[in-house]
Amino acid sequence: MSTKNPIYMDYAATTPVDDRVARVMCECMTREGVFANPASSSHQPGRDARGRVETARRQVAELLNASPTEIVWTSGATESDNLALKGAAHRHSARGRHIVTSRTEHKAVLDTCKQLEQEGFEVTYLVPGSDGVITAELVAEAIRDDTLLVSIMHVNNEIGVTADIEDIGRLCRERHVLFHVDAAQSAGKLPLDVDAMCVDLMSVSAHKIYGPKGVGALYVRGQVGNRLEPLIHGGGHEWGMRSGTLATHQVVGMGEAFAIAQQEMDTESRRLTGLRHRLWDGIRGLGGVWLNGCPERRAAGLLNVSFEGVEGESLLFALRELAVSSGSACTSASREASYVLRALGRDDQLAQSSIRFSLGRYSTEADVDQCVEIVTREVNRLRGLAPEATADAARDWAV
Amino acid sequence: MEDLSYSALVRERFEKPGNAGRLLGDVVTGMAGEKAHGTRVEFDFRLRDGRVERARFRAYGCPHTIAAASWVAEQAEGRDLEEQGWLDPHALADVLELPEYKLGVLLVVEDALRDATSKALRI
Repeated sequence: MSTKNPIYMDYAATTPVDDRVARVMCECMTREGVFANPASSSHQPGRDARGRVETARRQVAELLNASPTEIVWTSGATESDNLALKGAAHRHSARGRHIVTSRTEHKAVLDTCKQLEQEGFEVTYLVPGSDGVITAELVAEAIRDDTLLVSIMHVNNEIGVTADIEDIGRLCRERHVLFHVDAAQSAGKLPLDVDAMCVDLMSVSAHKIYGPKGVGALYVRGQVGNRLEPLIHGGGHEWGMRSGTLATHQVVGMGEAFAIAQQEMDTESRRLTGLRHRLWDGIRGLGGVWLNGCPERRAAGLLNVSFEGVEGESLLFALRELAVSSGSACTSASREASYVLRALGRDDQLAQSSIRFSLGRYSTEADVDQCVEIVTREVNRLRGLAPEATADAARDWAV
Repeated sequence: MEDLSYSALVRERFEKPGNAGRLLGDVVTGMAGEKAHGTRVEFDFRLRDGRVERARFRAYGCPHTIAAASWVAEQAEGRDLEEQGWLDPHALADVLELPEYKLGVLLVVEDALRDATSKALRI
């Protein structure tokens, strides 16, 4: 079996940089290009770089229906999550010291909450139903008089399910609680509107939508200065919210990626939904497969499936013709199953034998068909080796 | 996934696991492990004149488990039942180039082998 060029189906982990994005990034790196420090306002090259940075800021803001002055550049969604949670908690602790989030958040939020707990903040971790959806009702039950912040992701990175963001946002607004949304998996894939969603803080990343790794942004409602306690000091860049020389080429790449995503979102979303249905229709024919998360409320290209009767590590190795990810850290000594799937109520076996297929801009029908063929062949093979193999499945091996 | 590097022998046995399947008719079956814990191994032995004439395995587990069970089933064939304790899990770990944290799966394979052998000796 050749694994030199596996079929890439891990777009939720990261995406390649779009050629159009790479071209504008290259314009901002070399001597002939816009390489100057965008903070160097004393000369034209610096002002040119600043112009490119501000164009990118506008492109990102447009995708969120925000004002450019509400966008702070960061190194990625993890830093954005940290800045949002720690920055709000540290700056506004007089409002209260209680935070609401969910057990199915990304580690960037969960680990930041753990840190805040060590500092004396109290955190409530919501548990979704078996469909994985975090509803406004769940949040409403958890909000207290001393709740400072609610942090809920828009699209879950493992199962692709969307939360009730608009309803949760309205609830937070009514209860005067800050609302942070980790939109790393939804920006450029689902329509975003920070006003309609009543969002105060929103984390986004470039590399999930064909931009470069190492750059992201945080939307901060209103005038950015003084809204959050900064994590990084030194130079007062980004209204003092995030010091450090801006990486013009990264920022410009993110802006271009967001602009392209906005232009192509509708058609791409329809295409990916069609491919996802094609994939699920093919895989479900195996029998003994479980779709993880609500079947309707999900990002277009993401499918998370558990396979009965096959062990997770063997499944992932058997599927090495595909670049997919597992919902399980099953090669580790602890064989810890996905905390997200466990939160949904999946048992250890199903949580451990889950595969996340995430499709993207360069996925084709031929890729999907080949994927179905490989998954069918390998799952049947592994099931045939297992102790409870049916007589039919084991017939090739019987002596 | 942190590490999907497997030795050539594990890869080969995972791809084409010799002695996989079940034996029909008059056989003894040894088993160990729990699927819920991630590893389950079963061996079927057909006996003749105090020896293991044929051996087959079934396994639910990681590639190392499948490779180890396949290797043990193959090595068991032709052995005298009185030759107990022939399997040294540490030596097999070396053969398969197993990472240390995976030694536990070999103990499950060893337990399944012991179970089959002791059942065979009681016949």
